[in-house]
Amino acid sequence: MLSERPLSARSRIVLALLWLAVLALAAWAITQRLQLSGDLRKFMPAAETPAQKLLIDELGEGPGSRLLLMSISGTDAPTLAAQSQALRSALAARPEFALVANGGDASLDAIPERLRPYRYLLTDTFDARPLDEALLREELDARVQDLGSPAASLIEPLLPSDPTLETLKLAERWQPANAPQRSNDVWFDRTGDKALLVAQTRAAGFDPTGQQAAVDAIHSDFNKIAAGTRSKLALTGPGAFSVEIGGRTAAEAQWIGMVDTIGLILLLGFAYRSWKMPILGALPLATAGLAGLGAVVLLFDGVHGITVAFGFTLIGVVQDYPIHLFSHQRPGMSPWANARSLWPTLATGVASTCIAYVTFLFSGVDGLKQLAVFTIAGLGAAAISTRFLLPALIDPAPRDFADSRALAKVWRGIAHLPRPKGSLVLVAVVALGIIALAPGRFWQNDLSKLTPVPADALASDAVLRDELGAPDVRYVLTLAGKTEDQVLQASERLRPALDGLVATRALAGYDLAARYLPSAQTQRARQQALPTRDRLQAMLATVLEDSPFNSDAFDPFLVDVEAAKRAPALTRADLQGTPLAASVAGLLLPGGDHATALVSLNGLQDPAAVAKVAMANGAQLLDLKEASESLVAAYRSRVLAALAVAALLLTATVWIALRQPRRVLRVLLPMALTTLLILAVLRGLGVELNLFHLVALILAAGLGLDYALFFDHAGDDRADQLRTLHALIVCSLMTLLVFSLLALSSIPVLRAIGSTVAIGVFANFVLALLISRQPVVEASDAVA
Amino acid sequence: MPMLMLLCSAVLPCAAAPEADAVIPVDAGWILQKLARPAPMRTAFVELRGSAMLKAPLRIEGEYRRPDPDTLVRAVRSPYAETTTLRNGEATIARAGKAPRKFSLSRVPELAGLQASFGALLSGDRASLEKHYRLTPQGTRQQWTLVLAPLGAQMKGSVRDITLYGRGAELRCIETRPLKGDLQRTLLAGAANDAAKASSADALVALCRAGAAR
Repeated sequence: MLSERPLSARSRIVLALLWLAVLALAAWAITQRLQLSGDLRKFMPAAETPAQKLLIDELGEGPGSRLLLMSISGTDAPTLAAQSQALRSALAARPEFALVANGGDASLDAIPERLRPYRYLLTDTFDARPLDEALLREELDARVQDLGSPAASLIEPLLPSDPTLETLKLAERWQPANAPQRSNDVWFDRTGDKALLVAQTRAAGFDPTGQQAAVDAIHSDFNKIAAGTRSKLALTGPGAFSVEIGGRTAAEAQWIGMVDTIGLILLLGFAYRSWKMPILGALPLATAGLAGLGAVVLLFDGVHGITVAFGFTLIGVVQDYPIHLFSHQRPGMSPWANARSLWPTLATGVASTCIAYVTFLFSGVDGLKQLAVFTIAGLGAAAISTRFLLPALIDPAPRDFADSRALAKVWRGIAHLPRPKGSLVLVAVVALGIIALAPGRFWQNDLSKLTPVPADALASDAVLRDELGAPDVRYVLTLAGKTEDQVLQASERLRPALDGLVATRALAGYDLAARYLPSAQTQRARQQALPTRDRLQAMLATVLEDSPFNSDAFDPFLVDVEAAKRAPALTRADLQGTPLAASVAGLLLPGGDHATALVSLNGLQDPAAVAKVAMANGAQLLDLKEASESLVAAYRSRVLAALAVAALLLTATVWIALRQPRRVLRVLLPMALTTLLILAVLRGLGVELNLFHLVALILAAGLGLDYALFFDHAGDDRADQLRTLHALIVCSLMTLLVFSLLALSSIPVLRAIGSTVAIGVFANFVLALLISRQPVVEASDAVA
Repeated sequence: MPMLMLLCSAVLPCAAAPEADAVIPVDAGWILQKLARPAPMRTAFVELRGSAMLKAPLRIEGEYRRPDPDTLVRAVRSPYAETTTLRNGEATIARAGKAPRKFSLSRVPELAGLQASFGALLSGDRASLEKHYRLTPQGTRQQWTLVLAPLGAQMKGSVRDITLYGRGAELRCIETRPLKGDLQRTLLAGAANDAAKASSADALVALCRAGAAR
């Protein structure tokens, strides 16, 4: 603790700079260790239903959420095709992408040389018809035609080892199930105006930095490739959207932040006629932010982005602490004495709020625990620095706001205001009525509504998704089993039923891991059916005798078939490093003692029919949207439960601090009424409430508690009431400015927080003024 | 020379002014102007396709058709039936009882060259031809060759050159020399008709180059 002797003006500035330097150092140290995660799983409660579990396992991991869809348009088809090829090879060489496809024939490389013989175990060509003499003869006749056709130079190099062209058949089969039309060797949309590509990122769909890197890579490569042409790139997909929305939110928040800063500087400058106040006022807030962040970094691995956003919202209340100190400072009073006299009130507010947040620690949700640690550390640090550091820095003899004539005029007006009693009951009843009876849903569970994708982007995504046959992001079929091979077998058994659904148009197409990696059982059956080397050699000799081909033309074929017949069954591990690995990884999820195979669906027309067929075949149709909504609801009920306990704890703390029932009621009533009023206004306007409203409500309540406590603290002394009035006018105007601007934002998250707090500040101020202010005893005017 | 005269008068409709044409040196402009045929047109062909995998070069007979200026159809009659359509930079191969297969001409540069040169030849579009090839004419109007050496890097990677053999207004044979593999030969029009009677490979080579000035 610093000495109580007032410091010289110069030492005060040095001390302030020192404080700033310490903060900068702390900020640097924290950023070294700070690992911001966008992983929604950290912020959600534990999954309970299978759909929730899958969603939590899948969130950011699923094939759908990692896909970026691209279209190139604006010039002639051959140029578009060339650009599509160039973009594909540029992106495929980058570490950001697991898979890039444009319909080009790169799929021939899907099987590396060492696995080539496995084509005879992967292909289903010989399931229906064995590899015998008749089939060989037919195939070789077709190959003669191939050699005489214009495609000869393409096919000839494959023929010696692969006379039935299984390599090409597999490459074709591994194209996305419902691939778009090909033109100039690459995918084009139905009108032939747009070349289509699809890329699967390595980063999870909800990893904003990873998605940002992928999106940047695509734009940079495309700009290089398309330089000098008129072609344009359209990019959609969950990752692209989150990047765009993140960018828009950041841009808007930055704009609002700038206007806020200017507004705050002007406001504080006007209120205190001093340029130092805005800087001094910001110190406790900065200290709180860094303390909160530091505490979370120390106690948790990885800080959730939402924790930081919510946390900084909640500690906004500490901006008020230095204001009280400033407004109560007057000549003849030591800043230390000032801080000491404010401390009981400030401490009551901080302690009761912190105790309330402690309930979040027992919520069982990692994100909420982080939030509690962040706010408790932040509020504590701000209060302590306001009490023990700030007094050394402020001007000990500013003008006394109790002498302000304008303020005195306002105050006289206020003194004549009625003290409502019965009317408050009426207000509460009306508010409750609106909350209960307003039409429309109370809660908004759809996470996507919080971060709305622009309608035109959504439309172009739907078009691209349809053209590319990209999987449905809402529904997915699952097959669970003990081992990977077991679920692969189950997938193979499910295929006829799925084909039936495609035939009846309930479904446009599907994709599953068994398409790329047959079960070991199937592979063994195919091995058994392959002829032995001697038999194949004899068959080949007979067929070649009267064919245009040389008798030794297909010797490499004999070698490959023999290798396939002897090889151990291909497993997922063997695919490592091939493009097939990515396709399989997205559809076959290993677990500790179980495995899950996914069947991604596209063009789903009749979910009910698909669900029924799935049930009949041991599979399950999962609705991921419903699962995510149920998770949000579960999360919210945890928050609400924590809040209920928090409210009780807060009341108890205030009761212990104030001890008189009348005072307790005076302090808590504005806050409680304000909460009702905010809910009534939002509900009355047809707003569906979400988590961000809830967090903002907590902030509004915290502000209300402080306002009421300070009005109560001012007691019946006129001068002190005037100073308190000054402080609270500055506080509420400041908060109102910041959050009204947020309320004007086009981003629903910012709007939700802004509108809630802005209404709250207004209502809290007015109600605290009406209810918590004590009657003035004019006679005690002179007493300091 | 009498031999050539004989051939010329027997086969060619161009024999109208043999005396003059036989001695006038040829130039590319003249050849292209003479070869130009407005669509629709058709001409028979005989093609020999050699491969290390085959006992003997494959002999394919059929007809080239140009139903409209942008389309080239290669219809094989013997030894099997197959129709290849080249249009908009794509080839579509159709066989009896099978779904047609499509692929881009950019994957088969020699084929792209064939279509481009055929198209440009038949429309008399010298500028377009010179965009893709360096043209070297040789011989006389009555008996000429035109060597097309590719200019584009991609095409250069697979085709050494294409030689057209002709008499007067008739394009008789196209030889494509790939960088790797065997020379591919296509006999057209009169030469293709004659080839119907010839059987040995040597006879076909003679027919292709018959009396060529090289």
